[in-house]
Amino acid sequence: MQLIRNSGGPGARAAGRRSDTPSAVPRLLPSNPQADDRPHAASFANDAGDSRLAALRRTVARLETGWLGAPPPPLSLDLPDIHRHLPDAGLAGGALHEVSAAAYGDIAASFGFTAALMACATRARRGPALLVVSRRGTDVGSPYGHGLRRLGLDVGRLLLVETRTGKDALWAMEEILRADAGAAVVAGISETPLDLTMSRRLNLAASAAGTPLLLLRPPAATGLSAATTRWRIATAPAGRDRFEAFAGWRWRVALERCRNGRAGQWTVEWDHVAHRFRLAEVVADRAVPAGTGRARHRRAV
Amino acid sequence: MAPGTGGARLVALNDAAWRSGLAVGDLLSNARSKVLGLQSREADPAADDAALHRLTLWCLRYTPVVAPWDAANGADGLFLDITGCAHLFGGEEKLLADLATRLRHFGLCPRLAIADTAGAAWAIARHGDVDNAIVPPGVQQDALRDLPLAALRLSASAQEILCRLGFRRIGELMRQPRAPLVARFGASLLERLDQALGREPEPLSPQEPPPCYRAQAAFVEPITTQAHVVEAATRLLCELTPALMRAAAGVRVLRLLLFRPDGEVLPLQIGLAAPSRNIPHIARLIAMKLDRLPAGLQAEFGFEAAALHVLAAEPIRERQAALGIDGGEADSGEPAGLAPLIDRLEQRLGAGAVRRLHARQSHIPERAVAARPAADEPASDWRIETPFGIRPPLLLPRPEEAADIMAMVPEGPPRRFRWRGALHDVAHAEGPERIAPEWWHPGQDAPERDYYVVEDTGGRRFWLYRAGRYRPGHAVPRWFVHGLFP
Repeated sequence: MQLIRNSGGPGARAAGRRSDTPSAVPRLLPSNPQADDRPHAASFANDAGDSRLAALRRTVARLETGWLGAPPPPLSLDLPDIHRHLPDAGLAGGALHEVSAAAYGDIAASFGFTAALMACATRARRGPALLVVSRRGTDVGSPYGHGLRRLGLDVGRLLLVETRTGKDALWAMEEILRADAGAAVVAGISETPLDLTMSRRLNLAASAAGTPLLLLRPPAATGLSAATTRWRIATAPAGRDRFEAFAGWRWRVALERCRNGRAGQWTVEWDHVAHRFRLAEVVADRAVPAGTGRARHRRAV
Repeated sequence: MAPGTGGARLVALNDAAWRSGLAVGDLLSNARSKVLGLQSREADPAADDAALHRLTLWCLRYTPVVAPWDAANGADGLFLDITGCAHLFGGEEKLLADLATRLRHFGLCPRLAIADTAGAAWAIARHGDVDNAIVPPGVQQDALRDLPLAALRLSASAQEILCRLGFRRIGELMRQPRAPLVARFGASLLERLDQALGREPEPLSPQEPPPCYRAQAAFVEPITTQAHVVEAATRLLCELTPALMRAAAGVRVLRLLLFRPDGEVLPLQIGLAAPSRNIPHIARLIAMKLDRLPAGLQAEFGFEAAALHVLAAEPIRERQAALGIDGGEADSGEPAGLAPLIDRLEQRLGAGAVRRLHARQSHIPERAVAARPAADEPASDWRIETPFGIRPPLLLPRPEEAADIMAMVPEGPPRRFRWRGALHDVAHAEGPERIAPEWWHPGQDAPERDYYVVEDTGGRRFWLYRAGRYRPGHAVPRWFVHGLFP
C-alpha cells in the first residue's frame, strides 16, 4: 500500500522508474511451455499479492502513457488466461498492437485474428471501424464483406481505406487517429518496415485518440518497435463439432512481447456463433484428431 | 494563313498588316506582292481555342459569367456579363480601362465595348469607330443606327441580298415595316435586330458554370508562397461564411482561382464528402491540394489576385452538441469528424480511396459485395443479406487455378492440390456448395461452381471450387482457389 500511495505523490516519477524491472521481463524470448514455472509466477497464487501487483502495474502504465483522466477501457478478449499475461483485462484501449504471421501461409490466419479483434472492438465501442490496406501489402486477396460478417464484424460500420504504398498506409493510420473521427478501432496492413520512430508516433497517436490500433505486419517483420503488444499468429487445425463439421477457426497465438506483461502462447478458437474467443483445449478436446494439434503444440498456460 | 480556294489565304492580320492595306481573305501570293517582307504563319485553330479558353478563365476575375464567342460570333472574343460587378472596380469606365490595360500588357490589341445587350456590344466592338466605347443605358438604338449591316451577325446570304436591295446601315433597316421583312427573310433577321436592341433575350452560355457564392481579392503585392495562398483562401472563406450561414448551407464543391500577372490562371477544384463551412478544414484541403500539384505551385512572379467560387452548396443539418455525459451523444448517424477525415484521406490518396462495402443481391461471390466510395453512399444494412453458405474474409481478386489435383472420386473434394507453387495435402473438406451462373445476365455461359472449404494438414484453410462437372468424353474440369479462410 505504501508504494501505491507514493505513486500519487511527488515521488511518483521515481516509483515509476524503479518498477521498470517487471516490464523488462516480457522482452525476453517467447516463453516455452516450461517457462511458466518462474518464481514470480508462483506469487500469483497469492490473491493479495496479485491485486497489489496489478494495482502497481496499472500505476506504472498510467505514468508511462500519461493519461490525465481515466484511461480508455481495455479491449477485452474474454480470455482470463490471456488477460493474466496483460497489464489490464484485455488489450490496452489506446495503444499500438502488432500482429504478424508466423510464415507466408499464415497471413490469412493473422488477418482473421485481426478481424476477430476488430469484431470485439466494434461490439464494445461506438463509431466506425477503419481498415487501411496498402495495395502492395497483401497478395492474398481483399477483405470480403460476407466473410467478415461471418467473423462477427459489423460490416456496415467498416470503412476501407486503400493506399498505393505502405508509407501512405502508415500516414493514413496516423491521420485517422489524429482526426476527431471517433473510430472504434483502426487496423492497418502495411508492408513498409516500421522503424522505432514511426511506431512510436503511431503509438502516441493511438494513445492520444484512446483508440486501439492493430497493425498487421508481414511475416518477416523484425526490428524494434514501440508497440504495446506483439502477437504472432500461426494456423491450427479448426475445431469441429460432433458431426465433424467446422465449428471454429483456431490459431496458435503467441504473445511475443507485452509492455508490463508477460509473454505466452495459446491455441485460441474463434466461436462462429457467439463471435468470441475461447481457448481451444477446454471446449473441443474431442474433435482434435490425435497426433495433429495437441502433440505439436503443448498447452502453454 | 490557311489553305483556301485558289491557294493559301489570310485568315487573321495584325495591326501593321491591316494598316498596309491587306484584308482577311486575300490570297497569300497577292499579299506578298503588295507588302514587302510580309511574315506569315500557318493558322492553328486549336491553339486559338486554347488561348481563348485561357483568357476566359482569366476574365473570371471580373465577373463569374464569361462566355467565349461561338462560331456564329466569330469565335474570337468574349462576352462578359458585368451586371452588378462594375462597382467593384470603381465604375464601368474604370473596369473597361483596367481590362484594356491588362490585355494590352499581354500583347493583345483589344476592342472593347459596354452596352445593354450582348448584340449591341458585339456590333460596337467590331464596327464602332472608337475604342473602349460605353453605350449608356437605353440608347443603343442611336448607337447602332450608323453601323453597317455586318454588325448584325447575319448570315452571308441574307447580308448579300440586303446589300443588293440597297440597305447599307442598320438604321435603314430599323425604319422599314417589319412584316415585309419577315415575309422576305424569315424571322432570323428581325431576331438579330431585336436581340441587339434588347427586345428579345440572348442567353449567354458561360464556359464555366456560374458559382453559387463567390469572393475575390486583389493583392497589393503578388503572393508567391503556399502559406500565403492558403492564408488568402482562408480570408476569402471567412468572407463567404456569413452568406453560407444565412442560407444554412455548406460548401460541397469549391474552386480557387489564382491569377498571375501574365494572364495565366491556376484553377484548383476541391470536392468535399459532406457539406461543410469549417474554415480550417477547407484550408487544410487546399494546402493538401497545393502539395499534390504535379508541377508544383508555379507562381513565377506571384499571384496578383485570387477568387474563390463555391460551385455547389448543400444544406447542412445542424447537430445538437453532445452534453458531455457518456451516452448523451445520439448514436444515430456517424461521428461529426468522419466526413472531414474522408476528405483529407481522399485528397492525399486519390478520389475513391475510402470505400464502404455494400451487399448486393447476387449468388456469385465476387458480385455479392460492391465497394463504393464512402462519400457517395451511406452505409447499407448488412443484416438482411446473408448468403446461405460459409464465406471467407479474404477473397482473391480473381480465382487462381489450382494444379496437380488429386481426388478420390471425380465429384468429390480434392485430396491434394498445388497453389502458388506449394503442394497442399487436404486433411478435411466440407462441401460442396453449388453456385450456378446467373442466366439472366447476358453472356453468362460459365459452368456452375462447386465450392469446398478445405483444410490442409498444416491447418491452412482454402475456398476451392471446381468449374463444371466431370462428364465422360468432355475435358476434365479445372479447380480454382477463390478465397482464404483465417
